[in-house]
Amino acid sequence: MSLRVLNPNAEVLNKSAALHMTINAAKGLQDVLKTNLGPKGTIKMLVGGAGDIKLTKDGNTLLKEMQIQNPTAIMIARTAVAQDDTSGDGTTSTVLFIGELMKQSERYIDEGMHPRVLVDGFDIAKRATLEFIEKFKTPVTIGETPDAEILKMVARTTLRTKLYEALADQLTDIVLNAVLCVRKPDEPIDLFMVEIMHMRHKFDVDTRLVEGLVLDHGSRHPDMKRRVENCYILTCNVSLEYEKSEVNSGFFYSNAEQREKMVAAERRQVDDRVKKIIELKNKVCSGNDNNFVVINQKGIDPPSLDLLARAGIVALRRAKRRNMERLVLACGGEAVNSVDDLTQDCLGWAGLVYEHVLGEEKYTFVENVKNPHSCTILIKGPNDHTIAQIKDAVRDGLRSVKNTIEDEAVILGAGAFEVAASQHLINNVKKTVQGRAQLGVQAFADALLVVPKTLAENSGLDTQDVIIALTGEHDKGFVVGLNQHTGDPIDPLMEGIFDNYSVKRQLINSGPVIASQLLLVDEVIRAGRNMRKPS
Amino acid sequence: MKEIVTIQVGDFANYIGSHFWNFQDELLGLAQEPDGDPIYKSMPLDMDVLYRVGETQEGIPTYCPRLVLVGFQGSLGSLSPSGSLYHNIRSSDTSDIITWSGNVSKHASEPRKKNLFLQSLDGEGQGKSTVMGNDAVEERGNALIQVQDKDRVECLENGVQYWTDFSKVQYHPRSLFELHGSWADLQKFDNYGIGKDILSEGLQVEEMNERLRFFVEECDRIQGIQFIVDDSGGFSSVAATFLEDIADDYRNTPVLLYTARSPSSYGNVMSKNESISRSLHDAISFSRLSSLCKLMVPIGLPSLSKSKFSLLHVEDKKLFHSSAVYAASIHSISIPFRMEMLGPVANSSYAIGAMNFGEAIQMLTGQASQNMVSTLDVAMPAPSSIDEKRQGSILRSLHSLTPEIKDDAVDFHAVETMIIHGALYSGGHRASVSQVKDSICASYENEPQKPLFSHLTVALCPLPIPLPFPSIFKSQVGRNGELLPGPTQGDQPKGALDIDSVPMAARLRSSNAITPYIERRLTSMQRYGSQRGTSGAELLHKWGFGREEIEDMVEDLARKVLALNPHSEMSTDSD
Repeated sequence: MSLRVLNPNAEVLNKSAALHMTINAAKGLQDVLKTNLGPKGTIKMLVGGAGDIKLTKDGNTLLKEMQIQNPTAIMIARTAVAQDDTSGDGTTSTVLFIGELMKQSERYIDEGMHPRVLVDGFDIAKRATLEFIEKFKTPVTIGETPDAEILKMVARTTLRTKLYEALADQLTDIVLNAVLCVRKPDEPIDLFMVEIMHMRHKFDVDTRLVEGLVLDHGSRHPDMKRRVENCYILTCNVSLEYEKSEVNSGFFYSNAEQREKMVAAERRQVDDRVKKIIELKNKVCSGNDNNFVVINQKGIDPPSLDLLARAGIVALRRAKRRNMERLVLACGGEAVNSVDDLTQDCLGWAGLVYEHVLGEEKYTFVENVKNPHSCTILIKGPNDHTIAQIKDAVRDGLRSVKNTIEDEAVILGAGAFEVAASQHLINNVKKTVQGRAQLGVQAFADALLVVPKTLAENSGLDTQDVIIALTGEHDKGFVVGLNQHTGDPIDPLMEGIFDNYSVKRQLINSGPVIASQLLLVDEVIRAGRNMRKPS
Repeated sequence: MKEIVTIQVGDFANYIGSHFWNFQDELLGLAQEPDGDPIYKSMPLDMDVLYRVGETQEGIPTYCPRLVLVGFQGSLGSLSPSGSLYHNIRSSDTSDIITWSGNVSKHASEPRKKNLFLQSLDGEGQGKSTVMGNDAVEERGNALIQVQDKDRVECLENGVQYWTDFSKVQYHPRSLFELHGSWADLQKFDNYGIGKDILSEGLQVEEMNERLRFFVEECDRIQGIQFIVDDSGGFSSVAATFLEDIADDYRNTPVLLYTARSPSSYGNVMSKNESISRSLHDAISFSRLSSLCKLMVPIGLPSLSKSKFSLLHVEDKKLFHSSAVYAASIHSISIPFRMEMLGPVANSSYAIGAMNFGEAIQMLTGQASQNMVSTLDVAMPAPSSIDEKRQGSILRSLHSLTPEIKDDAVDFHAVETMIIHGALYSGGHRASVSQVKDSICASYENEPQKPLFSHLTVALCPLPIPLPFPSIFKSQVGRNGELLPGPTQGDQPKGALDIDSVPMAARLRSSNAITPYIERRLTSMQRYGSQRGTSGAELLHKWGFGREEIEDMVEDLARKVLALNPHSEMSTDSD
């Protein structure tokens, strides 16, 4: 109230208007994202004002591209994006679930029920569902060598919702092998150790996994070899360029000769560093036909490149900071910060290093490494928006494999969990609840069904038929999901459709919280703009 | 020492940048014109310092600014974020989607219309190939072009919405970076904390670093980074984050930072909280940014129309106008960094006073006070003052573009670097390099207070005025930037159609004149920030600054102020 006193122009929407505004916003957002869901969903092509194109079937990407103005919608979108940040997937489902909770509540509120009672029901239902998910999940034993088959099925389920089947299946193996490559027993998986590199070149099906590293730059000297085999790799962070030191600022020389001398003295320091590298090269490469590659995070200037080239060394400068770590994981050795104590132990190894040039873009492949713990997914595609979309899908795929390994469990997909949880709430939980909070549980149970319903809708099936068939089959004691082609109940276990446990859990956790908060809003006050005016 | 990489962060910075690159583009064009002014052909400026040579996948060579710019999402107007140079074939046909075999829906936002000026740029390539039938047609064609030029200038005067609206430069696709989650017109993006929040989402910082790395990796001997930031809002924390990584990755590469403010950023403050927030933003922003660069130059007066620039007619409301003045000054300052280095005794008839980035910064900051905040003064157009009667008029016509400074500062330890290019002899002839040099030396002889040290750069080549330059010159300015004698004809401000070039003088000066600027920030920080429990302290906490950090900043600012204060210096002398 005090705000209104302070600003008489502030607009106040009363209880029912506020609630309906919130509910409508939630439904609106749901409508936008609904068609995304599942392998039969619709891909969206976004064309910007300047003709730039984005392709997406990802709720997260879509939300980020939308300019959302409604405060409720912003709140829901933030929750959904946060969902993606923590678990890597489930943005669309979160928005759908919150929207559906609001929609179901609307029915009861219109009949005069107080939102508070519904919220109490949500709370009971949420706790029951979280208990249920523990019983429902399918444990996965990870151990030393994880069950590749099940990991593959999870990745495939995710990828098939983003890419056409053949490409999704191709990428499934790629993301699985990538995660297994960077995984170390007893350590959390660092997906950053999978480099994702792209080339605007050829076709999407040329996307591949490189065991080793692909760098997006090449050597900068014309005499350096473009392809070398059996290479020692020196990963370093040492400046090999002549820099003016702070004190010598050009004030202390009085003629050209003196200046030259100073420059020469400083030059010598850099040369000494280069010479130490060359010494090591001569030591390890003498008497064999091995090669030597220097990959430096700092700069290398032309005179240093010259010296290195003359010694037959291939050198790359200004490597990505993160590649220092990746290189060591891929090739072995260690990243050195000084050339003072160089020994053979600092060096890594790669069977093949070669350069690939596309226009002004250069790529350096470091391949045939021993026992790599870092790798590169090289995405190819004919244009930027295709590449971007594949990249998004690859990220999701990687996350799904990582989640499975960390969760040590998966959840049966194709709507099976939602149907089972919904029936569990109605058949078992609802009875134990006293009074009108029952209706909250009912609303929650109905809202869960939004996932199978939307899957059916996107496949062009009749949602009523599908839900009746699924719940009927479930009550006979089967675990059932939806066959996207026929609308018949299927066993997702047989079809290999699995979702991430943590994604589902997070969704059940955060959805009702936001919905409850929104339902309990009884006044919307906004100063400045008239919010009922269509913009 | 050669290449300079330019970074622009924030909307106003991109406006300035857009003008800056237009000047460069104009210089490139003039140098190639077969019957152009020889002054541009023999230009001593090495364009490769700012530009890079590239090649598209189709093998077409390109020449683009070595630039990374960061702006609001949606601030590129009709320019596609992937540029127009490298990705020409773009089909928005849904049947071309190869990654999905299911349903497709297309959502196209309304295409942003290109204004007359941009349309004519697009048409230029094709226009050249049409061969005129006979002279009559050609004449008519010329008349047509004349009319169009006027229309184009007019459409820019009245309708610039985005900095891309008046840009004639082709940018490399890696140069253009839109900050996600920062819709231009939606959120208030006016404090340090907001920028921080937006950066924390996703991998944006990494992407910015990657783009910079792309340009730096190509450099054989980078001399420095020229950084322009609009520090009036959230972009200053974006810049600070960027600079932090630069300091890490390119430790010995000096950064020259221009912190720019548009006149509109000085808008009315509504509430007390807002004014506290703004003061604190200024203080934090200065403190963070100055700690991350080698030399900082604050630019951006609250009003250019009410300033002392008597030959300019700038409408403060138009970013298109004010940014042009700052861009011209930055262009002048950049001249010594691009000239051929000659030995100390060698002399050129086209230019003297080459200097590289590091030297300039070292000179300005390396004095006793260690002051690393310089003021920027400029004379635009510089008066033709070479004859003996009017000596010193260039010096007197230099006015500051740095806000909040002491005008009557007396500082015998001041250090400065002055750049004069395209100066005219009275009567409208170009003055030779040695004439300008002698005249400046002579006028300094007569000055009551001389700086401790002054570096002078003189070049023959004036500032060319490209077509998309705003009409900001008063009517007494002539075609070559000379002052027209006698009564002025009309009051219409003049722009690119009436003026080809102007002589410029610009000066970076390190002196105690900057004291009030730093002092005010110190006071805000002390008053609002360092007391526990106040709303200011809370705000700083929200922006992610701990108590100790604030104390360190206060200490650092106090040290800066103290170093500039002559009294304290005297006392150390007596020790």
